[in-house]
This record gives sequence, structure tokens and C-alpha cells, in this order.
Amino acid sequence: MTAPVIGSDLPRRDAEDKLRGRTRYAMDSGRPGMLHAALRRADQPAARIRRLDVTAARRMPGVRAVVTAADAPGRYGIAVADHPLFAIDTIRYNGEPVAAVAAETLEQARAAADAILLELEPLPANLTMAESLASGAREIHPDWRDYQELVAGGSRGGNVAWEATVIRGDTDAAFARDDVTVVESEFVAGRQNQAPLEPRACVATYEDGRFVIETSTQVPWAVRNATANLLGVNVADVRVTAPAVGGGFGLKFEMALEPFAALLARASGRPVKLVNRREEEMLTALCRENADIRIRSAVSRDGEIVAREATVLMDCGAYGGEQPFLTTMTAHTLGANYRLGAVRLVSRAVYTNTAPTGAFRACNGAYNTFALERHTDEICAAIGMDPVEFRRRNVVGDGSMGATGQIFEGDVLGPMLERMETLRAGAAGGLPAGDRRLFGRATVVGTWFVFVGPSAATVNINPDGSVTLVTAGVEIGSGSMMQALPQIVSHSLGVPPESVVVRAADTDSAGFDIGVGGGRTTVSLGAASTAACDDARRKLLEVAADLLETAPEDLVLEDGHVGIVGVPDQRISIAQVAAHAQLVTGPISGSGSFTGRGTGSLPGCAAGHMIEALDIPIFTVHECDVAVDADTGHVQILAYRVVQDVGRAINPRAIHGQIQGGVAQGLGYALHEEVTIGADGCIRQRGLETYRLPLAQDVVPVQAELFEGAPSIGPLGAKGAGEIPILNVAAAVACAVANATGKRVRQIPLTPPRVLGLITGMEPQPNLSHVGSSWRDNVLDDPDELLARSPVHDTATPS
Amino acid sequence: MSTVTNERLFIPQTLREALDLLAEDSAITPIAGGTWLMRAPLRGEPLPGRCLAIGAIDELAGVQIEEATVTIGAGVSHAALARAVDGVPDLRGLGQAAMKSANPAIREVATVGGNLATGGFPAADLVPALLAMDAEVIVAHRDREERVPMTRFLEREPRVPPGSLLTGVRVARRRQSSGHARLTMRTAGDYAVAIVSLCLGLQEGGTITEARVAVGSVEPTPRRWTELEQALAGSRADAATAAQAADSLVAGFNGRDGVEAPGWYRTRVLPTLVRRAFEAALPRTA
Amino acid sequence: MPLEINVNGEARAVQGDPMTPLLTVLREEMHLTGAKLSCGEGFCGACTVLLDGTPAMSCLMPVGLVGERAVLTIEGLAPAGSELVPVQKAMLDNDAVQCGMCFPGMVLTLSALLQQNDSPSEDMIREALVGNICRCTGYERIVAAALEASRATVADAQEVSR
Repeated sequence: MTAPVIGSDLPRRDAEDKLRGRTRYAMDSGRPGMLHAALRRADQPAARIRRLDVTAARRMPGVRAVVTAADAPGRYGIAVADHPLFAIDTIRYNGEPVAAVAAETLEQARAAADAILLELEPLPANLTMAESLASGAREIHPDWRDYQELVAGGSRGGNVAWEATVIRGDTDAAFARDDVTVVESEFVAGRQNQAPLEPRACVATYEDGRFVIETSTQVPWAVRNATANLLGVNVADVRVTAPAVGGGFGLKFEMALEPFAALLARASGRPVKLVNRREEEMLTALCRENADIRIRSAVSRDGEIVAREATVLMDCGAYGGEQPFLTTMTAHTLGANYRLGAVRLVSRAVYTNTAPTGAFRACNGAYNTFALERHTDEICAAIGMDPVEFRRRNVVGDGSMGATGQIFEGDVLGPMLERMETLRAGAAGGLPAGDRRLFGRATVVGTWFVFVGPSAATVNINPDGSVTLVTAGVEIGSGSMMQALPQIVSHSLGVPPESVVVRAADTDSAGFDIGVGGGRTTVSLGAASTAACDDARRKLLEVAADLLETAPEDLVLEDGHVGIVGVPDQRISIAQVAAHAQLVTGPISGSGSFTGRGTGSLPGCAAGHMIEALDIPIFTVHECDVAVDADTGHVQILAYRVVQDVGRAINPRAIHGQIQGGVAQGLGYALHEEVTIGADGCIRQRGLETYRLPLAQDVVPVQAELFEGAPSIGPLGAKGAGEIPILNVAAAVACAVANATGKRVRQIPLTPPRVLGLITGMEPQPNLSHVGSSWRDNVLDDPDELLARSPVHDTATPS
Repeated sequence: MSTVTNERLFIPQTLREALDLLAEDSAITPIAGGTWLMRAPLRGEPLPGRCLAIGAIDELAGVQIEEATVTIGAGVSHAALARAVDGVPDLRGLGQAAMKSANPAIREVATVGGNLATGGFPAADLVPALLAMDAEVIVAHRDREERVPMTRFLEREPRVPPGSLLTGVRVARRRQSSGHARLTMRTAGDYAVAIVSLCLGLQEGGTITEARVAVGSVEPTPRRWTELEQALAGSRADAATAAQAADSLVAGFNGRDGVEAPGWYRTRVLPTLVRRAFEAALPRTA
Repeated sequence: MPLEINVNGEARAVQGDPMTPLLTVLREEMHLTGAKLSCGEGFCGACTVLLDGTPAMSCLMPVGLVGERAVLTIEGLAPAGSELVPVQKAMLDNDAVQCGMCFPGMVLTLSALLQQNDSPSEDMIREALVGNICRCTGYERIVAAALEASRATVADAQEVSR
């Protein structure tokens, strides 16, 4: 009997080629006769297109095709179809594509793109959410009413692309109580660019009347669907494949360059490659959105949160994209962690004349957790309670009710806080003598989830005893496709993990999958794979039962063999069974699928939410020690500790790698990575010179512990482990900096100028005058109507 | 005989050839490491039509450390400069400037000449270091050689006139302590948002006889901080005292607002950088 | 007349403009795609190659300036059929790799460092990596691998000297 494969540190099968530089990413792809493409982008944030003339560009040397909005009539979106491929009549952000060119060389394509005549008539631009929400503000989408709603339920209007609300209980009454302390806080979070080292890139061909696209994506099926819709062709006429992806982090969770390349391939009859330059990636990446947040809470003397109201404004940029969906997550992040009495939340995606934003690892959870945890520390200061003690008393546990009325199972955060105490033991509680800097420490908690949703898998049992796993999963770097999935299949079928062949994503061969992201690969693809294995195993055992002249129930699969329980020497290899099956029943394959179970919430509590309750919540506790240089504002991370709920660790070493990497990205978000927008609506950080990613000297080794045993519907009790490591980092750092400096930290990133400004009083406090203090001031619908629709539920006492 | 690789890149082997080419072709642009020039398209500028590479010219390649002077060829890279001046006590600040700028691979190719000649790059490290050293820039013309004091060199537009070539810098050797302090936003790896480089003449007992302080990256062009130099002369060489003196004099700077840092920040951190430059110049061994 | 440069031990003719970045020539003409174009401005290190053993950003190096210097790319460091070099082996053993885009540059930068100094301190390793960005891993396993490889290098050398 070999060692169990679940819980083992299986190495990655793709590591050696990556170390030898042999792995071919989409950006490395080449085809005979391939053309190179370039996009022409608008250089104004808001304008009417007076004239777009591609005649001269078509005549330029080497040019083989030019396409414009006339070639792509559709609009796409996730909740609302508001986004055309090329700007039609109106420019809504600086960098919006207006035409695409394919030519023999990249230089020729760029020269022709530059030669396109584009005359723009400027319109007043709303560059901030405050401008977009001001009374009388120009509507960025005057036709918003006519857009197709792909998901129902959200309120929309004017420059509010989507609004989601949570109403549970009577906050008004709670705030009016005379025995509570009311604490109100405002926060501002900047954008964060995913900046994977591989830019968005693809190669498209047009073959036998179908589009074939090899692309750097996390979502082959979404690319297939969006491309077909935009081009007005059958979905079945688009095939998408994904090789190894050079980093995604959410940037590649939406269609990107594929339809441009597809159009050009059809127009030219040649393969077409399109790769974003870094500058284009900086200007048009679907960044984690900037957000404006107001929270207020009523807290009793002994630290009970009797009511909470919050408004979160999320800047979706010129088009909605992921943001309408992400408004959902405010309830489960900012509304999470703690037991609450009454709660009312508003989460709005707001259009501005800036580049559209999107999904970035833990999405709005990262800033909602920053805001919630800083607010929590402000509560602790106001009522004079130790922040760790406050958390110990208030974190959700078994039977607690979440913001939307979900009932949580299991005590998880409480024991994790205890585990953190053990992890902390022995850590230095201050700076060495002579160090002039300020020391700070903070402990924060966080709640995230696995984005379950549909996945499909097929396994083929080959006559040589190997197993081929076919899914639309993509290896984006996390290793899930290289480690956890083969481990799960190996465990299910009793074959060594080396015998599991993992098919690269191809929408022509694998069933639907919602994509690689949201920590769902191990869970959703893993569960679909488990189901496929169960199906195959059943068939395998039937054939084996015949061969071994026994009943299938008496058989086990292990070590690549089918054996009889209790008869150790009577066994035959899976290869033999598979080969035999080929002759008698035909080849053995199994198929399986998975989707979320739809955990219940309190009916009527949440409006406009695409996920009303979490099927698999994940919890995490972070702690960091910082030293702040009061002369320059530099924050140095001295130590970083994590206790992460993993359900069950399929590959502990791989999870530790995700934690280290996620924390490093979080440190970038908290401290270094700043996106600002100039008066021309253009993002000012145009490259990696000014967009400062953390370097080897800026990170510390993270001390991490995996917390196992929390309930999960994932395969073998697993939870997603790759997304959550970034969730709490900005919160931990911001709280620690606040503790070090004694200042109210309200804005991230905490760049040296911002921290020095905070210490010296030169940093202006965020102006959130466009966010009303009361929840009522921030909803599109009549608040009283909303209240009338909400469930009658007495939650004066947190459950 | 110069290697003409084609009409776009000329690689002369001698200074003479280079000067002839520059005199005959007003549109030719000297290129050394190329780390600035090759990024022209990212700045929205075209790459020059024709380039003259200075890397093969022996006269521009070395660092000569002599009794009274140090001569540094324009083609010397930051890394090579740092290696050459390592352990030369009066040039400590120059070495510190050369060994910390940008990142290691860039330091291996980016040159002294490129750093000095690039007027559009306010965050150059070697410029304030050489200003504080009171260096002279050597500019060769076909018929003559100019020696231009750093301060005047930085005022010229362009710094290196057409037809001429920056061949190196010369630093007079003095009994001095020098130090360089640069402030990056990360631990390292980005361009400094403010730089203080200084040279101190010291009497026995630690009194400053002469101070030369240069500030880089704060304003569009690096310059000497003469008010602070005057305040320091005659005082005791002490980092905290110097920082205090600097604090009362920062109002003289008009910090440039940039994507990487606002102007107020660049001036605000100057006293701290003065303190750090002092500490770099006068390391406590005890 | 065409340029000639030495790449991975072989003289290779280069067509076209000598101001073309070396990276473009390696990737487009020679199909050596291990070096990546990522930032294009010398800040990420994904395009790192060795010139006479010294790391260089090939995105900013005009091919005409390479001259006589030997260009070593990741493909030439451990050629097909040969074993991984110690730092590659250590990265494999440490499960350091994630998306993989930075690794060709990381490996070359660290091999050059270990060539120069067979037992660098952790600080020296981090400093050597200032021009190499990794967006996935948070660097720790890369640093750990370099330390392990330095010990392996020392151990190998001791083995030989015995």
C-alpha cells in the first residue's frame, strides 16, 4: 500500500519546463503565415466620435485587415450587456478601442493603427464617483434602460450600473438606543492592477467556418460565449483553447482581446496574434476597483454590535463588467466576520469615464475587509475594549446568522484566533533598542468564499492503465491543475498521480466550466472530477467483477489494481480491466459535474444579489508586525502570520505557496501599488517603473498554519486556498500602521507620502460627502418601500 | 576603422572617428548602455534614426585614479564605477551612488555618460554625487576639449552640444568624507524620489571646514544646496545637527510633483536624507 | 552586412536593424522564447539573459551593441538532454514555480550570482533580485532555493576537491 496521496506534497509536473524556459504561453505562440495585430485606442475619456476613417490605414504597407464597430454589432456584460467591443459613436474611457489592424509585422500594424483618422468631440467627463453621482451629472450611458439585463434583480439608474441591498432588522431603532455607542468611519481604497507578467495575449484563426482561439485566459467558456455574442455568430462556432497562463489573478477572468483577433482572422484569412503592450495593460487592465466606503455601527458597552449600516461605492469604470456581480460580496465580507443585530447594506457599482475595472483575487473583499477591520478597531477604541478580545467575543460561530440571514455551521474563527495566539508566542513585541521607528501590531479576521458554480469533467480509463482527465480548467500558476486535481483523481481511482494525464482546456473537448478563479478549481473541478471518477469506477468494477468472478461491492481500487477485499493476492491491474473492457463493453470513461447547492438565506433580505448565501465560507486570521519610519513614512513589515481555514489540505505545500504569494500581493496593495487617474482620464502609472510591485526585499517569510476540519461541501472536505490569502493583508497592515502611529488610517495604499502625510497631518482626510451618512441617502429606490419588502425579523440581539 | 553595422548604428573604435562622425552628421545620437534611449517609444518619442555607440572607444572606457585627480570615462557603467572606486576613501559617496541606482542588471550597462547627458532624467544618482564632488565634465569637440564645471554643465541646454561628445568626468581628489543617501519608495529598485549627496572637508576634532551638498530628484534639475553648505561650514560634523540645519532651510526647494511622489514629500524628507548622507559619510566604527 | 552574435555557444546571423532589442531577435528570429517581453523598460527582469556571464535586460539592449559578448539564454543554461543546474534543481525541489513567467530570468540572475559568489547571504540574494519581479510566489521559495543551491554548489566543489 502506497502512502496516501491526499495531504501529500505532490510536485508540479510543469515545473521543469517552466524552469527550462520551454513552456509556451499564448504570448509565445506562432503559426506559419501569422499576422500581427494592433488596436487603435481613443485618447480622451469622454467624447463623441465625429469621424473614424480607416481608408489610409488600409493602404499602409503590410496591412491585411482593418475592423471597426461595424464588424462587431453586439454588446456584452456579466449582468448588463452594456459593453460594445469597439466604441460605437461614443468614447467612454481613455484607451477604449475604436479599430483593430492586422499586418505582416507588428510595426506595420502599429503604424497603420496610428494612421487611422479619429476625430473626437469632447464631452464632460466624470472621472470620479463623486462626479458621476453629483446631481445633474451627465449620464455615461444615456441608453441604460435599453440594455439587455442578463441577470435580474438589481436596481439600476443614471450612473449607478447596479445596486444591491441587504436589509435585516431595524437599524433605526438600534441607533436610537441610548445605551449604545455609535461609531462612524469612512474609507477610500485605490485600484490595484493584477499585472501578471504575461500580458493578455491570443492567436486566432478562422478554420472551416469556425473561430479557433488560443488565448491566455482563466475562462475559456466565457471567452467562447462573449466572442460569439459580440460577433453575432453561433456559440458553437467558437473554439477556445488555453495553454499555460502566465498569471491571471482575475485579470483574465473576462473576455479580453479574443474577439478582435477573431474578427481580423476572418477578415484576413490568416492566423492573427494580438498581445497587449505593458502600457496597454496598465491603462486598460480590469483593476480591482477603487471604492468609497462609509460604515456606522451601534455597539453596546460590552461590545455587542446591535446595528450596522454601510454603503460601498465601487467604481466600475465605463462599463459594468464584473462589478454588478461583485456588489454581492459586500454582504459576505463587510457584512461578515461578526455577529450583527440589525444590518442594512448598500453596495453600488458606479459608472465613471475611466477604464473598466474587474476581478482581482478576493475582489472587493480585500478593501471591504480593510474597512471592516479598521472600523472594528475604531469601535474598540471608542468603547475601550482590547481588539483581540472584541474579536474573540463577536466572531461568527456555529449557528450564527450572517448578514443575509444565512446560518453558519461550525466554530471556526474562534479556534483560529486561539491558534494565532500560539503562533504569535515567541514573536518580538517591539523594536530593538535604538531603532527610532514606531512599532505596531494588529490581528484581523476575514471571511471569503469558494465561488462554486458549474463545472464538468470526463475521465477516460486508458488500456495502459493511465487516466485522462478532461476539463476546461486552466493552469494559471496556482498549481491546482498540476497538483490537487491529479491528486483527487489518483485518490478516487487508486492510480498513481503520475498516471493521471490532465488535458489542457479546450471548449471543443471539455464541458462547460465557469472558469478558474474564486478559489474554485480544487473544489468545483475537483468535485466534478470526483463524480466522473465515481462513474468510471462503477463501470470499471463491473468489468473487473466479471473477470474476478465476484461482486463489484467486494472490490477495491488501489495501487493501479482492482483487488478483492480481504483477499490480498487476488488482484488484476486496472490496465488489464480497461483493455478487457475495450473488447467487451467498449472503452471506459466516466463523466461528472458539480455546481453550488444554493445555501439558504433569509427570504427577502438581500436584493440584487447573485449569491445570497455562501455555500462554502472560508475564514482566515492574519496578524502583522510593522515598523513605521516617522521621518519618511516608510512601513516595514517585520513579521507576518496567517492561520487559514482550508477545510482539508489536499497539497499542504502548494497551499503554503499560495499563502506566501497572496500575502506578497496584498502587501503590494496595502503599501506600494498605486493607481491614480490624471485630468485626461488616463491612468498615470504607465509601466512597472511607476507601478511598484513588491520586490524580493519588500516581503517577509509568512508564518502560516493550515486550519483543517471546518465543514465544507468540497471534495474530501477541501476548500479553495488560493484566493483568500490576499483578503486580510491590507486590513492587517492598515490596522498595524494605525496602532503604530496612533492615527486613523482611512485610505490605502499606505505609500510613504500618505503615511508621512498622516503622521504630520498633511494628508487630507478622504472627502466622502457624496456618500450620505444614512443608508437611506444611498439607495435608488424609495427606502420605505425597500423596508416594506424586507422580512420582519427581530434581530435586536446578535444571534 | 569604424564598424558600420548598417546605416543605423555606427560603432567607432576611436574618439577621433567618433568626433568625425558627429561633426559630419548632425542627426546622429550617441548611445552608451541604451537603457534610457531604448525607452524613447515609451515616452512617446521616436528612436533616433542613427546612433553612434561609444562602447568600443578605449579612451572612454576606464577609471583612472591618480594622486590628484580621478578621471572616469563616459562609457564606464555604474557597476564598473562602483567596483573601481571601492575602498577609495574620498570617493565613498560616488561609490554609494553607483552601486544603488536602479537595479543590478541596469547598473551593469547604464553609464556615467548617459546619466550625465540625459537632461530629461531628474532622478539620476551620479549627477548629485558628481555635483557634490565638484567634478568637471569633459566634452570633446573635433577641434578642442571643454572642461565644464558640473553646475554650469547642468544649466546648458542641451548639456552636450551637437557635434560634441561627453567623454568623461574629472574629480579633483581632496581629503574629504563623502556620502550619498537616496530615498526610494520600495526598499530598492525604483528611481529615488529625493537624493542628498555630500562631501565634507573635516578638521581634526570633527569641525567641518567645507561642505558641498547636492540635491537630486527633488527639482527638475539637481543642484547644490548652498544655504546648507554655508550653515554647515564651521560647525561640528554631526548628523543630527546637520539634519536640524537642513530642516530650517528646505523652504528653498520647490519639489516637483510626479507620479511617484508629490513635491511636498520630496522636500519634507530632505533633512532625513541629510542625516543619512552624514551617516553614510561618517560611518561609526565604534 | 548582417550582424553576427554568439548565442548559446553558436554564431548566429541576425537580419535587419541593429537597433532592434536583443529580446526581439531572440524571440522572433531565433524562436528562443524563454526570455519574455513583460515590462519592456528594464524593471521586471523577465527578459534577462547573460552577456559574458553578467545579467542583462535584453529588452533594452540593441542587438547591434552585443558585439563579441556571449549571449546565454535560459535554453542554453541547461541544454536539452542535460541536467538542471543547481538553482533550477533547488527550485524544483522547493516547489517554487507557479505561473513560471519570471523563472527564466530568475534562474539566470541567480546562476550568475552563484557563479560570482558560491555562498551569498540571504540579503545578497534579495539584493541581486531587485530587478526580477515575481508576481506569484512572494519570493520566499526562490530565495530559499538560491540558498540551497549555494550550499549545493559549495558541496559539489568540496566533493571535487576531495
